[in-house]
This record gives sequence, structure tokens and C-alpha cells, in this order.
Amino acid sequence: MPQVAEPVTIPRPVIERETESADELAPTYYVICWNDPVNLMAYVTHVFMKLFGWEEQKARKHMLEVHKKGKSVLVREGAEKAEFYVHELQKYKLHATMEPAE
Amino acid sequence: MKLTLQSGESWQYQLNQPEADILLGLMKKFPFTELGPVQFSKTDADPKTAERKKLLAESLAQHREELKGLAVNLLGADKWQKSDSGRLLTLNTEGREILLQILNDIRIGCWHALGEPEPLEQPVASGQQFAHRQLMDLAGYFEMNLLEPEA
Repeated sequence: MPQVAEPVTIPRPVIERETESADELAPTYYVICWNDPVNLMAYVTHVFMKLFGWEEQKARKHMLEVHKKGKSVLVREGAEKAEFYVHELQKYKLHATMEPAE
Repeated sequence: MKLTLQSGESWQYQLNQPEADILLGLMKKFPFTELGPVQFSKTDADPKTAERKKLLAESLAQHREELKGLAVNLLGADKWQKSDSGRLLTLNTEGREILLQILNDIRIGCWHALGEPEPLEQPVASGQQFAHRQLMDLAGYFEMNLLEPEA
């Protein structure tokens, strides 16, 4: 008579509930540059390249967005870094604010 | 004014004598913008906005003081050489950046003094407005020429 193997109980995997890190929970902000008629287009492009380390093409794209649409979202960052960028942009006399990204 | 040589951190510009005189005169106008209320957010919904505005105002005031200190010797005699067609101005990258910020402060300050016209080209109504307009255009002229290789 053939032997019947004892049923083996496979332990259920324990699935730990995924938790969000503190960084993921922290609010983020959009850093926005607003249009004005006085800052030169070349100057705005230069500041974006200098501050964000962007290539000219990307900096120019954002500058044109500011110029044509009235504003451009430059980056989305946590509070501290967004604050830093607003400070630096305003030191260059660009009209920049940070807005909650929700 | 035009860029004649750029090598590594060094930027050399050729200016004729009137341009050099005007640029040195412009430097004496800095700072031209006034320290006033700052805007940090359009929505102001964040409870931390007031604190952030205060810090921003302090940061901008401190930056202005730093620029004032740096402006003193920015275009000192050691930065100039005589040339056949005027003068050569040599700046390092940091000096060029500081000069750009100083010129832009003057340009923006003039725009404020003119009542922030939009569009920019509005008829001027007084001698003082004419002077501000001229100063704004001159600052823009030098900014454009400093940035020419990037423009």
C-alpha cells in the first residue's frame, strides 16, 4: 500500500503593512516664477541655468513659459529646499513664490 | 561693450571710454531698489508663511549688504587695462555675476520708481521719470552685453 505523505502546512507569508517614510508624508511645494515686464529674457534664462544647473534649452523653455503664460513651475520640492530657491530667485530680483503642491 | 575673451573663470570685455565712464557711474547708483514688504506665497494659506516672509526679508537685506561690500572694489583700477579703442575690463565669473545683480537691481529699482509700467515703453511725464527711464535702459544695455555669449 502506497504511503500517503502527511499534508504539509505552508506558513502564510507575513505581509507587513507598507508604511510611508517621513519624507513621503512631508508637504511639498511648487516653486513658481511669475512674469514681469522688466527682467530681461537673457537674464532670466541665465539665472535659471545658474541656480538649477539646467542646460540652456531647459532654462529657456521655462523662461518662455514665464513670458508667454505668466508663470512657470520651476521645481517641486520639500519646504526647506523650496524656501532656499525662493530666496535665491528673489536675490536675483525675480518674482518667485512657493505654493503648496497638495 | 563686447566680450573679447573668455577663458575658464576669466571674462574680458572691450568698452569704449564713454561706456566705461557710464558703467562706473552706474555703480554709484547701487543699491537702487528699496527694501520693502516681500511676497513668499500667492495663497498665504500656509501658517508658516509669516515666518517665512520674515526670514526672506532678512535674507534679502543681508544679501544687499554683501553686494554693497563687494561692489566697492568690483570695478577697481586693477580690473581695467587701456586698449587702442578704449578700455578692457577683466572680471572673474563671480565678479561678472555680482555685476549682473547690481545692474539688475538698478534696472528693477528704476522700474519701481517709474510706477512699474506694463508694458515697459510708456511715455514719461517728467524730467525725473526721463532720468529713471534712461538709467533703466543703460543698466539693461550692460546686462545684455555681459550676457551676450549666452543670449
